[in-house]
Amino acid sequence: MSADEFDPFVERLFARTPAMPDAPLFTAQVEQRLQKGSRIRFLALALAGLGGGAVAVRETMTVDLDLGAREGVVAGDALGQGIQSASLNVQSTIQGGLDQVGLSNLELGSMGGMQLFWIAAAALIALAAAGVMKLSQEV
Amino acid sequence: MTQALVDRHDVELAALAAAGGRREFGELVRRHGSAVRALLRRMGAQPSLADDIAQDAFIQAFQRCGEFRGEGTFAAWVKRIAARLYIKRVAKEARYTAEVEQEDVAPAADQAGLMDLDEALKSLSEPERLCVSLCHGAGMAHPEIASALNLPLGTVKSHVKRGLDKLRARLQPEPAQPLGRTQHVG
Repeated sequence: MSADEFDPFVERLFARTPAMPDAPLFTAQVEQRLQKGSRIRFLALALAGLGGGAVAVRETMTVDLDLGAREGVVAGDALGQGIQSASLNVQSTIQGGLDQVGLSNLELGSMGGMQLFWIAAAALIALAAAGVMKLSQEV
Repeated sequence: MTQALVDRHDVELAALAAAGGRREFGELVRRHGSAVRALLRRMGAQPSLADDIAQDAFIQAFQRCGEFRGEGTFAAWVKRIAARLYIKRVAKEARYTAEVEQEDVAPAADQAGLMDLDEALKSLSEPERLCVSLCHGAGMAHPEIASALNLPLGTVKSHVKRGLDKLRARLQPEPAQPLGRTQHVG
């Protein structure tokens, strides 16, 4: 057999896969590692999301979440006031945007402030969820 | 009706795996796991190390599945990932960073006249074995091997040539008799 014939012959030999009795075990180990990695990624993303969400909520509402009640304010009241003021902010921001695009006739005031707040919050959550999904596919 | 995983083509499974399909990727591991493990063993890795690296290679392949375009076979793609991981590992040990000249392993007597590839590879020196496996097992070009192993191109070519010469001598001990034919006596 010449060298020209021998090279493909060796490649064919390399392409032959020997039978490995523990092949199912190997496959199971890889699948287990994939599952574990996926769980860790999910937990990391969930923790990051919770942390980021808490910071975002805190920043948005400018609420002092210190439950030590330094000023004697009940935490629940503070949170309620925060949401109320945030919703008004959101409403005025959206209304401003609508005014700029010539839709000033569209009255958002007819919707409740809390309603608008939750719509905006839902949109943000959906956006964040889409981002997380995309990220988890890329990682 | 959902098509069974076993009926799907590698490229199709890889595309589904790229979208996060772990079951589909599991099917790819089932199909090609042994081939990747065998290549690493042929490159000179001990079985346990070969299995560890093969697992790492498949994990990496899953994460990079979107990069697989089906231009070559999926097995070849994973083999190259595995080969590179193994090279990184041995480079850490500085076994191939300089030209290694070592005593050739004395080939064992082969009474049957025919040997399988795995046995024949044992008669090669470690650099020869690695270079031949990378070239003919992982499908890497000589310059690619030289770059990966940090060896001069001429050295890689020399290792491949000497390795193939030894393999030829081991796998084809009797040139007059074609391989795979049974000799009839009578």
